[in-house]
Amino acid sequence: MLRNSFFDIENWREIGATLARNKTRTFLTAFGIFWGTAMLTMLWGGAHGLEGIMRRQFAGFATNSGGVFPGTTSMPYLGYNKGMSWDLTEQDLANIRRVSPYMEYSTPINGARVTAVYNDRSKSAYSMGVESEYSKIMIPIVYEGRLINDSDVRNHRKVAIIGKNIAGEIFGNESPVGKRVSLNGIHFLIVGVAGQKGDASFGGRIDDSFMLPSTTMRRAFNQGTTVHYIIFTSLPGHTPKDNEPFIRRAICSNHPLNPKDERAIGFMDVSENFEIVDKLFLGLSLLALFVGAGSLMAGVIGVGNIMWIIVKERTQEIGIRRAIGAKPLDIIVQILSESIVLTTISGIGGVCFATLVLGIADMVAADPKHGMPGFQTDFNTAIAILATFLVLGTAAGLLPAFKAMKIKPVEAMRDK
Amino acid sequence: MIFTLKDVNKTYPGIVPLHVLKDINLEIERGELVSIMGASGSGKSTLLNILGILDNYDSGEYLLDGVLIKNLGENKAAELRNRMIGFVFQSFNLISYKNALENVALPLFYQGVSRRKRNAMAMEQLERMGLADRAHHLPGELSGGQKQRVAIARALVTNPSIILADEPTGALDSKTSKEVMEVFRTLNADGMTVIIVTHDPGVGAATNRIIRISDGRIEPAPSHV
Repeated sequence: MLRNSFFDIENWREIGATLARNKTRTFLTAFGIFWGTAMLTMLWGGAHGLEGIMRRQFAGFATNSGGVFPGTTSMPYLGYNKGMSWDLTEQDLANIRRVSPYMEYSTPINGARVTAVYNDRSKSAYSMGVESEYSKIMIPIVYEGRLINDSDVRNHRKVAIIGKNIAGEIFGNESPVGKRVSLNGIHFLIVGVAGQKGDASFGGRIDDSFMLPSTTMRRAFNQGTTVHYIIFTSLPGHTPKDNEPFIRRAICSNHPLNPKDERAIGFMDVSENFEIVDKLFLGLSLLALFVGAGSLMAGVIGVGNIMWIIVKERTQEIGIRRAIGAKPLDIIVQILSESIVLTTISGIGGVCFATLVLGIADMVAADPKHGMPGFQTDFNTAIAILATFLVLGTAAGLLPAFKAMKIKPVEAMRDK
Repeated sequence: MIFTLKDVNKTYPGIVPLHVLKDINLEIERGELVSIMGASGSGKSTLLNILGILDNYDSGEYLLDGVLIKNLGENKAAELRNRMIGFVFQSFNLISYKNALENVALPLFYQGVSRRKRNAMAMEQLERMGLADRAHHLPGELSGGQKQRVAIARALVTNPSIILADEPTGALDSKTSKEVMEVFRTLNADGMTVIIVTHDPGVGAATNRIIRISDGRIEPAPSHV
């Protein structure tokens, strides 16, 4: 005769009754499970959230970007001593763009400190000269107006994008777009207000800088053909590093630098840093998993323990049940369903609690520019955690259940 | 013959093995009211356990209603018990957190009977025991006699042909004992085979046959009434 007493209402009433009989112990065990799931979920979501916080530092920053800047020679070459410094030029930029096969966007960057004057207000600030592709590499937030375009660069236009912070300091609540500001005595027309998404930047922060067309900047501030540095992104499927040999060759053909002199040319590959960050967070996630799994195990062992005690306590009762017709399978189903119920209820409670805590953390860590950092465990992960718990909780109930199964009906006669 | 035992032996293993049943030969007919009497440690409870398929024996043969009961699996034994035998215990062995009705209905639960049906059947048995008004009381709220009658109702609910009672009056006063024995006699009059293990001569006297057991052997029975 096959029957599944697991679904019989009597079975559920019994589970309720036995779990309710020793409330303290049931509560402590349930708390163990509750805490195990909550810990695992919180750690998992917490690692996720920290990663979100970390990533937003780099928001808007192309992850496949690189930079080239002049270094100091460490080898003598063609009669020049080591320790010589040199400058990148417009010619180098043109050469690099011509020979680098894996380059997508690129821009020269020139920097200068300027004194900005508008009416009676003046302010010292950083200004940088860029080309239009700058905004493909460092994606800025445009609050008003526009960014530098190709036409500005080609025509040496005296236009400027003002950083959001300086705009506030010089113009207050007024809109700066369409106004003229004097930078070191030269008047520029403000065409846009911008800021950056993350915290990381090449050169100065966009929010605290003026952005000018690179050609205008070099001419206005007497920088000749000098380019301070070049930033670029690689084509999809390539890293910035892939461009390095071509870039080095292009530069060496134009400057008296030993081609073997690594330190003469500064080269930076941001994608490597991102890789490190990726690994860091993989490690953090694994750690969370490890610690969480530990508390999970503790909870599961707790369930096994309470079920073991329950079985010992109820030896006589189980004997009676066997004497009046319960088969071994009936007893196993009963004991297992108790541990499954205990695990399920406290496990769901734990996930809910962790979700609440993560939700609060997410709200606290949220900022208006980036939104919430993502202190979350997604639904599938939560279900996976619950499923793991259920499987382990059942497994923990197995040993006591088999012990219960071995109880002979004669036990009912003893302990009179 | 509903019970036939031929040369049944039972030894409890241990450092000093205990030979508790020695060459037991016994026949009990359908519809008998029998008591098994003996001193403590005489082996009477072991005999009852074997009759009730609660325990195994080492050698010999035991036929229950013509079926050889030997080395049965747990499931088969449970099924036979559930179908054929109702048990009544000295300490009532009711489940303390279930009310009288639920206790009586429990064997039917293990038979897979639906809740509505088993509650109706359990109620019928409680009425038969005159305890209909106590159906929703927990065992703790019942007197000793009432508890034992609930236990008897539980033994009867599966409609077995045999009742095995282990010291059913051991925990009751003499007045209540008489009432309980009256219940057993009534059941027997209805055709039920009843076997009672006891050391109370009064109980023994209330049955139709006394099987005396001492030191693991059945004494010759001069008193077959």
